[in-house]
Amino acid sequence: MNAKQNKLPILNNWISVIKDIVSIFLNEFKIVFKDRGVVIIFIVASLVYPMLYCGLYKNETLVNVPIAAVDYSRGKYSEELLRHLDASPDVKVIKFSTFDEAKKAFDDRKVHGLFFIPTDFNKKLNNNEQATVSVYCDMSSFLYYRSLTLASSYSVLDMGNKIQVDRLNAQGITGQEATIASNPIPFESSILFNEGMGFASFLMPAILMLIIHQTLFFGIGMLAGTSREENRFHELVSTKLQRGGTLRVVIGKAACYMLMYLVFSFYILEVTPHVFGLPHIGNAIDILKFMIPFLMATIFFSMTVSAFLPSREIGMIIFLFFSLILLFLSGISWPQSNINGFWKAFAWIFPATHGIQGYIKINSMGADIHHVTYENVSLWIQSALYFVTTTVVYYWKIKRSQEKSEKEVETSIL
Amino acid sequence: MLNNIFIAISNTLSREFRRMVSRPIYFIGTVLVMGFCYVFFLTFFNEGQPNKMPIGIVDLDNSSLSRQFVRNLDATQQAKVVMRVGSHREAREEMQRGNIYAFVEIEQGFAAKAISSKRPPITFYVNDSYLVAGSLLLKDISYMSALSSGAMQRQILRAKGVEENRIMGIIQPITTDTHLIGNPWANYGIYLLNVLLPGVLQLSILMMTIFVIGIEFKERTSHEWLENANNSIFGAITGKLFPYTVLFTLLGIIGNILLYSYMHYPMNASIWWMFLTTFMYVLAYQAVGVLLIGITPVLRDGVTLVAFYGLLGFTFAGFTFPIEQLPYSAQIFSYIFPIRHYFNIYVNEALHGISIQHSLISFIALLSFNVLPLFVYHRLKSAAIKQNYPIK
Repeated sequence: MNAKQNKLPILNNWISVIKDIVSIFLNEFKIVFKDRGVVIIFIVASLVYPMLYCGLYKNETLVNVPIAAVDYSRGKYSEELLRHLDASPDVKVIKFSTFDEAKKAFDDRKVHGLFFIPTDFNKKLNNNEQATVSVYCDMSSFLYYRSLTLASSYSVLDMGNKIQVDRLNAQGITGQEATIASNPIPFESSILFNEGMGFASFLMPAILMLIIHQTLFFGIGMLAGTSREENRFHELVSTKLQRGGTLRVVIGKAACYMLMYLVFSFYILEVTPHVFGLPHIGNAIDILKFMIPFLMATIFFSMTVSAFLPSREIGMIIFLFFSLILLFLSGISWPQSNINGFWKAFAWIFPATHGIQGYIKINSMGADIHHVTYENVSLWIQSALYFVTTTVVYYWKIKRSQEKSEKEVETSIL
Repeated sequence: MLNNIFIAISNTLSREFRRMVSRPIYFIGTVLVMGFCYVFFLTFFNEGQPNKMPIGIVDLDNSSLSRQFVRNLDATQQAKVVMRVGSHREAREEMQRGNIYAFVEIEQGFAAKAISSKRPPITFYVNDSYLVAGSLLLKDISYMSALSSGAMQRQILRAKGVEENRIMGIIQPITTDTHLIGNPWANYGIYLLNVLLPGVLQLSILMMTIFVIGIEFKERTSHEWLENANNSIFGAITGKLFPYTVLFTLLGIIGNILLYSYMHYPMNASIWWMFLTTFMYVLAYQAVGVLLIGITPVLRDGVTLVAFYGLLGFTFAGFTFPIEQLPYSAQIFSYIFPIRHYFNIYVNEALHGISIQHSLISFIALLSFNVLPLFVYHRLKSAAIKQNYPIK
C-alpha cells in the first residue's frame, strides 16, 4: 500500500510534465495563428514560394537564342553549316551581310552570339584543307554561352564527320576502314540524374530546402522578437509559461513547429516536384527519415539565434541576405569539393548545408539514407547541439525574466 | 520656402545622426552586412573556375593503353581522378554519395579491341544535379577524348600512307575559334559577383529604408520626427534618407573598386560610369523603399514586402536565367526592378565596352524610380500626423 503510494508522485510528476508540454504546444499554435506576420512567413511563404519559383524557372533550358550569322564565304558548305546550326533547338540563326551589322545587333543585345564564316571557308574545304569558323559568345549569362557552344560544336562536328568520310574515301579508305579511321575510339557521354541539363531541375530542389530552412528561421525569429517586445518584462518567454521549466517550454514550442513543418514538407518536397516535373526519384520514406533531423536541427538552430533578437523585424532586416550565402555554402552551384577549408567549416554550422546536399542526393539522385550518412549524422549532431544551446539561452532568459518580475513585485509592495 | 526646406532637412539630419549611433542595427544592417558579403564572395570564388573536381574511374581493362588514358584525364584542368572502383554500380554509388561528380568506364579488353580495330567505346557519366560541376567536366572530358581520338586517328592515317599535310584536314575538317566576350576564361566570379554584390546591396538599402522610416511609426515618434522638420514631410524624408544615400553609395563604390580594380574584373568603359550607375541605383532603391513603407506604414509588413520584392530581384536581374526566356507573363515584371537596369548598364559598359548611348534608356529607367515616393506622399504625411495605422 505504502509502496504503491510512493510510486504515484513520480507518475503524477510525469503526467504533469506531459500536460505542461501539451499546453505549451497548443498555446504556441494559438500564438502562431494569431500573428498575421508569422502566418505570412510560415504558411503563405511556404505555400507561395515553391509555386512562384518553379513557375518562373519552368522553361528549364534556353530555346532559340537569337544569334547572328555572317557568311563571307557563301558556298555550298557554309550554307549547309548555317542550316545545321539553325536546326538546333538551342539557337535561332539571324543572317547579316556584314560583320559590322552583326556587331551592331550584338551591341543592341538583339542577338547573344556571333557565328562568323570567313571568306576562305568553302575554298579550303574544297581543297581538302582545314577550315575555321569563329564563334563570339555573350557572357552576360552563362546559359547563352552554353546554348551557343552546344549548338555550334554539334553542327560543326556533324558536318566535319561527313567531310571526313568524303576525304577518307578520296584517299581510297572506304567502308569499315573509313569508320574506324574517322572514329577509332567512340566516346559516349551519358548525363545522369538531370538528363535534360535543366536549370530548374538543378536549382529548385536546393531552393525548396532553403525555403523550409529560411521560413522556419525568420518565423521563429519573429515570434521570439514579438514575445520579447510585448511581454511585460521585454523578455523572451511569457511569465505564465515559466512554471513549466525550461525544458518543457523548449520541447513544447519545438513540437509545434515540427508538426507544422512535417505537413508543409510534404507539400513542398512531394507535391511541388510532382506538379512541376522536377527530379523526384527518391524514396519517400528515406526523405522522411532525413527530414526529421533536418527540421529538428533547423528549429533548434533558429530558436537559439532567435533568443538574441531584440524585436520582431530585426531578424529579417539583418539576415535576409544570408539566404544567398546559404545557397552558395551548400555547394550546389560552386562544387563542395572546391570550397576552401574555412568556408567549408563555416558551412557545417548551418542545417541548410547538410539539408540541401542530403535532399538532392536522395531526391534527385536516388540515394538511400545510408548514402547520406555524413549529412544525416551531421544533422543529428546539430539537433543535439542546438537543443542544448536553445535550452541554455532559454534558461538564461527565463531566469532573467523571473528576477525582473520579482523585483517588480517587491517595488509594488514597497 | 527653399530656406524652410533646407532647415527642415538639416534638423532631420542631425536628429538622424543621433538615432544612427543609438542602436547597433544601423551599423550591422549596412556596413557589417556589406563588409561580410564582400569578404565572403571575393574569397569564395577566388579560383575563378572550379578546378580539379573529383572524378572516378572504372577501368576494367587495366592495360597500358587504358592507364595512359586515365593519366591524360588526370592532367586536364578541371578533373582529378580521386578513386578507382571495380564496377559501374560502385561508381554510381560514389556519385550518389557526392564523392565524385563524374566517372569514366573503360570496358574489359579495351586495348586488345583497339589494336584489332574493333572500336571499343569509352563511356563517361556526369552528374548534372550539380549543373556547374557536371557541365564543366563534360566539356573538359569531351575535349580530352577528342584529343586522344585525334592522336589515334593520326597513327592510323600515317600507317595507311596518307600524306602528312592532309592528315589534319581529315581528322578535323572544321575547327572552331571561340571568343568569350568580356570574360575570356569563363570566370564564375566575373559572371556572378557583378550582379550578386549589387543584389545584396539592394536588399540592404531596401531593408534600411523601410526600417528607418517604419521605426518612427512603430515607436510612435512620427510626430516628433515631423515637427522637427517643420512639418515638411519632404524635408523629413530627405533629411532622414540622405545619410544612407551617402553610406550606401560609398559601400557600392567600394564594391565597384573591389571588383574592377582589386580583382581586375573586366571594365571596358570608364569606371566612373559604374560609379554613377551605383549612385543612381542607390537612389532608385531608396525610392522603392519609401513606396513600400508608404503602402503599409507598418514596419513588420514592410519587412515582409521587402523580403519578397528584394529576393525576386535576383531572378529578375536576368543574369542566371535570361529574362526573355522566362514565361512570357513574367517578363514584363523585370522592368520594376532597378537591378535589371543596373545589369543592362553593367553588361553594356563594363563587359561589352560599347558607347554610353546604348545604356541611356537604362539610366532613364533608373532615374524614373525616383517619382515613386510621390504616390505615397499623402499617405506618409497623414500616417505621421494622425498615426492612423494598425499597431498590431
